[in-house]
Amino acid sequence: MSTRLSHSAALILKALSLGFCFGLDVMEMTGLPSGTVYPALRRLERDGLVTSNWEPEQEATRNGRPARRYYQVTPEGTSAALAATERYPLLARLLPESSA
Amino acid sequence: MSQFSNRVRGFDDNLLRVVQYAVPLADRDDWLRVWQSEIWHLNHRRIARPDTQATLAAGLIRDALWLRTEAWKRALEGTAISCMAILALLCLASAVLALVLTGSRQELMLEFGAPYRRFLVEAVLVVLVTFATIFRRHGHQASATIPRIRRRVFFLFKSALVLQLAFLISADICQPLHAAFPLAHDILQTFVAVVLSIAGLRWGFHDQETRCKHCLTALESPARIGRPSHNLLEWNGTEQVCRHGHGRLNLPEMETSWCRSGQWLDRRSENHQVA
Repeated sequence: MSTRLSHSAALILKALSLGFCFGLDVMEMTGLPSGTVYPALRRLERDGLVTSNWEPEQEATRNGRPARRYYQVTPEGTSAALAATERYPLLARLLPESSA
Repeated sequence: MSQFSNRVRGFDDNLLRVVQYAVPLADRDDWLRVWQSEIWHLNHRRIARPDTQATLAAGLIRDALWLRTEAWKRALEGTAISCMAILALLCLASAVLALVLTGSRQELMLEFGAPYRRFLVEAVLVVLVTFATIFRRHGHQASATIPRIRRRVFFLFKSALVLQLAFLISADICQPLHAAFPLAHDILQTFVAVVLSIAGLRWGFHDQETRCKHCLTALESPARIGRPSHNLLEWNGTEQVCRHGHGRLNLPEMETSWCRSGQWLDRRSENHQVA
């Protein structure tokens, strides 16, 4: 059963599926305000459409920056993103595959 | 905590310090780490975008509030308190509607006073009839005194609220008839109040039986157990569990002479038996 998503959630999920896996990147890519993006990421995670993890501390330290939490789309999230693209055809134009 | 956490300074740092108290304690360290990292990355972008910085504050506040409301929702979902609060809110909404329909408090007292006194007598009869006719399906093992008292107090308050609600809804529904057909109004209002009271009390019994006998939280995760029997000699039914792990309720698919009612299985007494 596919989950029905709001337009904002679908846009965020689409951005994540294109490889923008950090909150700040998703925010800049989608143009949505942070007050929409971060709670939406939490909701998507609660609903099992995305998972989040911390990137390895050593790798981040080696690059001279703190580790970040990154988000990944689950298989359920992928099918929800596909369903959302059918429901909101403009999503494909807003976030074309080539922008990843 | 990361060595980079102390690099978040000024307004952002003050904001994080204040807003962190809105985040539930269990999530606070993780939340702080996420936002310290996000703010650090924002401040060290190659291409600085001042508009992004301005909106990040809204993001961290809404993120904290989301975590808080989710924690409250998780803690209150299915509890006796939330059940009582919903019933009380419905009573309040019905009372406000009654006030709007009658126009003033004096009119409300005048119009609803006599029906309410009549309803108090009806309610006694409704309670007696419902208690006499309800079939209590679920037997359970003897439990400790305090949970038993808590269960009874909850049932008492819930029933009182249900009866109030039944009266208020019946009065709201029938109020437009009051001026034109007073007799029809009285008969119809009595009938609707009795029907709603009986339905409400039956729901109250059912709700009581499908709650944990220890913490009164609504049981969840219904799962079918056993396999459907062709000769009625195998047990099959549904099992519901308390999310706090206090026990589980087994309900038979159909009543048989050897398995007539459901059974509440207390986890602590099961553990005691195993030990």
